Amino acid sequence: MSVQLEHYLVLGAILFAIGFYGALSRRNAVAILMSIEIMFNAVNVTFVALSRYVTPTLLTGQVFAIFVITVAAGEAALGLAIIIGIYRSRATVHVDEMDLLKG
Amino acid sequence: MNYWLFFPELLLVGLAFLLLIADLFLPTSRKHYLAFLGALSLAGVAAAALTLRGEKVSLFSGMFLVDDYALFFKFFFPALGVLVLLASVEYAKKRLTHTGEYYGLILISVLAMMLMTAAGELLTAYISLELLSFSLYIMAAYERDNPKSSEAGLKYILLGAFSSALLLYGISLIYGLAGTTSFEGIGRLVQGGNGPALFLGLALIIAGLGFKLAVVPFHMWAPDVYEGSPLPVTAYLSVASKAAGFALLLRLFATAFAPLMVDWQGVLAGVAAVTMTVGNLVAIQQRNIKRLLAYSAIGQAGYLLLGVVVLSPQAADAILFHLAGYAASNLAAFVAIIAYFNQTGHEDIPDYAGLAERAPFVALTLSIALFSLAGLPFFAGFTTKFYLFLAAAQGGFLWLAALAVLNSLISLYYYLLIVKEMYISPPPPQAGRLPVSILLHGVLGVLLIAVFLIGIYPSPLLTLIQAATRPLFF
Repeated sequence: MSVQLEHYLVLGAILFAIGFYGALSRRNAVAILMSIEIMFNAVNVTFVALSRYVTPTLLTGQVFAIFVITVAAGEAALGLAIIIGIYRSRATVHVDEMDLLKG
Repeated sequence: MNYWLFFPELLLVGLAFLLLIADLFLPTSRKHYLAFLGALSLAGVAAAALTLRGEKVSLFSGMFLVDDYALFFKFFFPALGVLVLLASVEYAKKRLTHTGEYYGLILISVLAMMLMTAAGELLTAYISLELLSFSLYIMAAYERDNPKSSEAGLKYILLGAFSSALLLYGISLIYGLAGTTSFEGIGRLVQGGNGPALFLGLALIIAGLGFKLAVVPFHMWAPDVYEGSPLPVTAYLSVASKAAGFALLLRLFATAFAPLMVDWQGVLAGVAAVTMTVGNLVAIQQRNIKRLLAYSAIGQAGYLLLGVVVLSPQAADAILFHLAGYAASNLAAFVAIIAYFNQTGHEDIPDYAGLAERAPFVALTLSIALFSLAGLPFFAGFTTKFYLFLAAAQGGFLWLAALAVLNSLISLYYYLLIVKEMYISPPPPQAGRLPVSILLHGVLGVLLIAVFLIGIYPSPLLTLIQAATRPLFF
């Protein structure tokens, strides 16, 4: 049995679900960021696979994946910078202790 | 290819970097010059965009569109940017550090919004959306020593990144079905009734953009971020980022997803109904004025979604028209709140007691802005809501239009609570008059004129808007 498009798509969907679950269930802000990175990478797998099988002559999906990687790196850097700022003033990175803002 | 058509954007990039370089050479006491430099830059960009009237071309193989729709926003966003820059000056001087970079970020976010409205395919749209989001994440967390501000920044970036991931997964599925990312190509190639993949892709795109626009059930971040961010940033978030999101949503749905209307119309109608109802009902219980306006902005997003649900040319006009009216009114309300906050540092509604005696012009503008948001006649809100609800009713969504009118009545109640504090409650003892700078008075005056102009004599703006939405449908 050779590897088909479906296998890549299922891999992408599973990775996305893992990241989704992690982002919603983790309490540590760094862990949430990591889960979101997994979601981005699931998207990259999907993009590259679709690019290869749906539009083999065009590289749209692969270019998209490169941009997503770049943006994800920026997002992580920005997120960590904000987390460090919070850690300096509060000595915690747990999101359920961030309760200054409440309705 | 004619690079002249890309000139306003290039100019803005150059000017934004120029401002950041100028920041290095100015002493801290003179940083406010940069706000004026930024305002001049944005005026220059809008003037440069004047040369693009009537063009209808696509650049970079369809990635970037130059048409009247994008052109409208090349005036709209710089105008908002100028007002926010000028309204920030006093606040930034008192409460922010590194103000030069703050002004630079405003210019860059205006650039991002201009690109967003000009995007002709999903990758460009996504990258410019992220450019906007990144600038806003930094701006939300700008008061480094204020734990509330950092907390707002963290909540914003975590939920923003999460929603980006949802949006991207949706984009990847749509790309898989269409084999292209261009809006026009998706509209041509993807047929309705394509089964679960199409439905999931659309749902994820709606969820991802819904987070950015703060529509229910994706609105949880908005009140916290609005409350924690520095006030001028909250003003900017509630007006500019919302307008940019709706501009993108409108182009995306009108050009790419219009043939799939059966697949998303019902879902979006439900989201619109829930958004306006929840936003307005929860707003009633708020004590903090920023939170109250956050929920009111959620309610307004519900009204605007109404136009996207109907998606007729009239509805598209009504969306842009309501965006303009909402931007003027909401910004006027926020500038009044900034003027009060600069002097007192208070932001709870009971603190506004007796403001009519302490700062009559500020209290008057705030009342007019709130009446306009509620949709009372003679003010912008009435005319724009009238157009929007009429378009919804004509498009066959009478029940949604009726619900929107009902919600406007609810919103009048909580807006009146603020007006009551200002005009009927006595000021606290020993509270004197509040000094308000000439600059803030000027900004308030301009916004007040805009609110009245849109409310009483809307036809010039409407003509512009009708020209702007034409490329979406033909």
